[in-house]
Amino acid sequence: MNKILRIENLHLKKGGKYIIKDFNIEIEQNLISVILGVNGAGKSSLAYVIMGLSGYKPDKGKIFFKGNDITDWSVTDRAKAGMTLAWQTPANFEGLTVREYLEIGMKKKSLFAVKEALEKVALDPVLYMNRIVDKSLSGGERKRIELAAVYAMHPDLVILDEPDSGIDILSLENIKKLILDFKKNGSTVLLITHRDEVAEIGDKAFLMCSGKIINEGTPSEISEFFKDECNSCNHKGEPEKTLANNEGSE
Amino acid sequence: MATKIIDEYAEMMKAYEQSGGKVGEFSNPNVPSIVISGNKVLGKNEVKGLIIEPTPTKDGVDVKIIVKSGTKILYPMALCFGVLPREGTQIINMEAFIEDNAGMNAISHCVFPNAEHIVHKMRYKVHIGKHSFFRYKEIHFHGSKGGVEVVPYTEGTVGEGSYFESTFTLKEGRVGKLDIKYDVDVEKEGKLELYSKVWAKETDEVNIEEKGNLKGEGAKALIKSRVVLEGNSHSKVVSVVNASAPYSRGHVDCMEVVQDNATAEAVPIVGVSNELAKVTHEAAIGSLDSKEIETLQARGLSEEEAIKVVVGALLK
Repeated sequence: MNKILRIENLHLKKGGKYIIKDFNIEIEQNLISVILGVNGAGKSSLAYVIMGLSGYKPDKGKIFFKGNDITDWSVTDRAKAGMTLAWQTPANFEGLTVREYLEIGMKKKSLFAVKEALEKVALDPVLYMNRIVDKSLSGGERKRIELAAVYAMHPDLVILDEPDSGIDILSLENIKKLILDFKKNGSTVLLITHRDEVAEIGDKAFLMCSGKIINEGTPSEISEFFKDECNSCNHKGEPEKTLANNEGSE
Repeated sequence: MATKIIDEYAEMMKAYEQSGGKVGEFSNPNVPSIVISGNKVLGKNEVKGLIIEPTPTKDGVDVKIIVKSGTKILYPMALCFGVLPREGTQIINMEAFIEDNAGMNAISHCVFPNAEHIVHKMRYKVHIGKHSFFRYKEIHFHGSKGGVEVVPYTEGTVGEGSYFESTFTLKEGRVGKLDIKYDVDVEKEGKLELYSKVWAKETDEVNIEEKGNLKGEGAKALIKSRVVLEGNSHSKVVSVVNASAPYSRGHVDCMEVVQDNATAEAVPIVGVSNELAKVTHEAAIGSLDSKEIETLQARGLSEEEAIKVVVGALLK
């Protein structure tokens, strides 16, 4: 299967400490790949490095997207090449309507596509299309609009940073369905989460700890491992111990 | 002579259109309107219940507008003020009387497309009677040389149960030098909303002083300013709400976005002299939020395009 994203030997230092180190991963096209990890594992930083955000230029390593070395590419060039990111805590835009916001990323602006994207995240287009993308929206509403915006883009690769955070339990099922719809529409999904129940909708899963991938497998295998080893972890920042325990138990 | 007037009118209309106005409004008999170039009244249309009395002066025109009691004007009045030559002074003294149970919306476009050294002074006196409304929007279109000095000064009274909204917008072309002042009293249950939206560039200078005086019980005021600065421009925004009546409520909201070498000051002043009144304020000066810009870049916009979208939305 084609690898849409490949990361080799990635290192990122922040405040004098490596928060991503010796990171390697290959993401297969048109699958939902999950990166599961506890808070502070470096998952969001990884998302920012892949998207090329300011302050997240890797100290070492390479990122390849569709076979191109994009390590030094701008955010815009990466987006134009077909990738995007849905932020965990999305920005607000005073004066910009939901419809305008969604249309920004669309290759061909269409009212139908705006309505469809809002319906996908269980927001009534009539009520939301002309709302302003600012603090008048609740955190959950803003989050759903962010997901609708990336859905409307039809990206080749979408990085979803904790799409379930701030979403109520009832809406969680909508979000899971949306993630599956991304795949159905031909997008590759890189799903970043700290909730094992969300990870289970993936095709493949990776466990991230202290800036490294320490395990990979099926979502159920990784979720099981996460529940057993990570939720009660008493040696955060020392992934080697987790690996040693795992190897010992096998 | 007649040809000259027709040419001048055509040029004013062209600038009016460039500033976002619809020229068809001036030929619609249902739309009240007035066109003033320098100190010449080039056109005027009154509708039932509305009186427009212009009097040319040496450097401009004095205009008296009366909306008769009980009249609600259906279409917004279209006003076009401007100076076409590169140099000149225009002084407009406008007095608007919105009588009791009356109301009108008005959109004014002030156009100075060739300005190299233009002084434009607007003195407004607004008297709004009881249970009436007046919504006034002023949109400026200046040329690219920054040779305009604009001094709009509004004072007035919002009567019992009435509403006054005034929006000043200057986004196109250079600002030059802008000195806005508002001083408005609000009577019992009256409501005042003042909005200023300015995009300053190069060496532009912006000075905004907005003052709302809540004098009647239950009076309300919202003063909101958005100034985006780039180059070596400078702005100072002083927003004042004084609440002296019980249950009066006011809020001041000022945001100045600074880029390049621009500088900005924000001075919110809130005064309360009645224990049952309440006034709040928020003021922010800073650069554009990099998260907003990068979010739009992650949707495929260039950095320049993203800045344009963020600033355009902020000043919308």
